[in-house]
Amino acid sequence: MGQSSLKFGSGTRSVEELEDLAFELRSKLLHLCGTYEGAVHIGGDLSAADILTALYEYGLNVDPSDLSNPERDRFVLSKGHAAVCMYIAMAMRGFFSYEGIVETYGQLDSAYGMHPCKVQLPGVECSTGSLGHGMPLAVGMALSARGRGETHRVVSLVGDGETGEGSIWEAAMAARSNELGNLVVFVDRNRQLMTSFAEERVAFEPYPDKWAAFGWNVVTIDGHDMAQLVGAIDALPATDSTRPTVVICETVKGKGVDFMEHNLAWHAGSLGAADLERAMESLEASRGKNKNKESV
Amino acid sequence: MPVTFTFGEMLSARSVIGTTLAELGDDYDNLWVLTPDIGATLVEFRDKFPQRFVDVGLAEQVCVSIAAGLAYEGNIPVVSGMLPFLSMRALEQVRSDVCYPNLPVKIIGTHGGLVGNGGSTHYAVEDLALMCALTNMTVTSVGDPLMVGEIIRQSMTMAGPIYIRLAVGKKDKVLYEPGQHEIRIGKGIVAREGTDATIFTHGTVVAQALDAADALERDGRSVRVVDMFTLKPIDEELIIRCAAETGGRFVVVEDHLAYGGLASRIADVIADRGLHLTAFERLGIPQVYAGFGEDEQLRDKHGYGLEATIAATRRVIAATT
Ligand SMILES: Cc1ncc(C[n+]2csc(CCOP(=O)(O)OP(=O)(O)O)c2C)c(N)n1
Repeated sequence: MGQSSLKFGSGTRSVEELEDLAFELRSKLLHLCGTYEGAVHIGGDLSAADILTALYEYGLNVDPSDLSNPERDRFVLSKGHAAVCMYIAMAMRGFFSYEGIVETYGQLDSAYGMHPCKVQLPGVECSTGSLGHGMPLAVGMALSARGRGETHRVVSLVGDGETGEGSIWEAAMAARSNELGNLVVFVDRNRQLMTSFAEERVAFEPYPDKWAAFGWNVVTIDGHDMAQLVGAIDALPATDSTRPTVVICETVKGKGVDFMEHNLAWHAGSLGAADLERAMESLEASRGKNKNKESV
Repeated sequence: MPVTFTFGEMLSARSVIGTTLAELGDDYDNLWVLTPDIGATLVEFRDKFPQRFVDVGLAEQVCVSIAAGLAYEGNIPVVSGMLPFLSMRALEQVRSDVCYPNLPVKIIGTHGGLVGNGGSTHYAVEDLALMCALTNMTVTSVGDPLMVGEIIRQSMTMAGPIYIRLAVGKKDKVLYEPGQHEIRIGKGIVAREGTDATIFTHGTVVAQALDAADALERDGRSVRVVDMFTLKPIDEELIIRCAAETGGRFVVVEDHLAYGGLASRIADVIADRGLHLTAFERLGIPQVYAGFGEDEQLRDKHGYGLEATIAATRRVIAATT
């Protein structure tokens, strides 16, 4: 097997293609949020949409037709409430059908629900949802890879609010203690929790310094800038290095929909038909703005 | 406070928590409210008493320990959050920091049972077993939203800790006319009289048990429903009385593991007191990870929904030994 073609970040997509895919992911998320009756964690889905696009369409070496290949990169969604964003990103990558998600989401016996379930949905690496578990699980998986001399990466997406959990910092210490350079944590730093803004109740800052103090390799980027996401992925240190890497992605909760951005009311919710239209218009407009910015 | 809700109406238990705490904050200047980022319904208290409101963010363990520290200093802390995380992530903090020194910390939260469609990480299904195992802990599970306020009020003068379990707490049926029943922690409520059998239950399933009793009444059956909202200490006297008055025919139905919750509490009383029953059935969650679905669908799927309750009650009534 051609080892070299299996490297993390071996994606062939251009930044522009990735941006289009992220737009498609957001449109699909809004569609689900507008048609499903229950609550969707749309705020944290939209903030993570670019990161998950960059991972599934560019970074992760995964093969939807070969789920148990031991050489695959492992992805653990530690902020499990963004499950639907991961499901759709995975569907777009060919893991399952988007229609299947929309038709059964949240229903009895569906594989697709509010938090990812590995048992019901092959392709998902771990069941998560209780915050503060996924990243520690990723440490264990990275440790296994290290022990077996495997060269894949273990990647986890963590919410910044989630990093209030002590278990995250226990895991951060364990990862450094075990010199897990094959572990990469993306933090969705949208500066909102469920019911408050970061810093309002919890002093996260100086945030990058906290990770650095734990001995991690710290990278801070704009988590909505696809070129920066791709750059961060390309620049990851070798998997046999000794420092785990955290990519702190500065993001906006509700990104792309003006009335959801920076709005605590949209941690989770449901859009009616009228609001879906309004949300789509706003998403289109925000894309136009970005395109203009680029061409200037 | 004027009561403006009547029987059968829907009310949010969470809003009752919010208004009750805001009210009690005036009477008790040592009342503190703490939450691990589940503070949406605590805004009234937060705005009124910002110095006595603490949102620690996503950190259930330290939330409980801080509450215990406050209680050591003579304060009355209420920790409000989601029960799967408060009862399990913070279990040792509850046990060793709160229960061991018998501190007056109140733990109140939502997502007790297969409710809310969050999937297996988000259902507290073993919480009552865990909490009942803890020395000094008083354990309650409340369905009627107005009762929640009453229980919080009564708990203010308790010396030790209390656990108050709700379902989702957004839309709950008002089961009792205010004043219809005496509500006292440690005493079960006979929600409906009957002589052929007793259904024991707690929490939101009380409404389902009442519906089952109504359905059976149409068949000429007289079924008693007991809202055993306090699981610990359990109302032994009421269990003994029901055994005598309803032919020793018991059904226990609950939104909790079938083993370890109310059914087990009652079975212990039966064994310890040497009660001779005619029939005993327990309906609850089997040891499975339940998956997704609406509350009622999950109850039906796992064998403790309305139809199953009616069928079990019929069997118990028909039993001969
Ligand atoms: C242990 C635990 N406590 C509470 C929750 C409920 N909860 C779900 S999302 C959330 C806020 C998460 O904030 P953050 O990690 O910043 O995620 P994001 O803002 O990106 O959605 C909370 C409190 C949970 N899922 N797990």
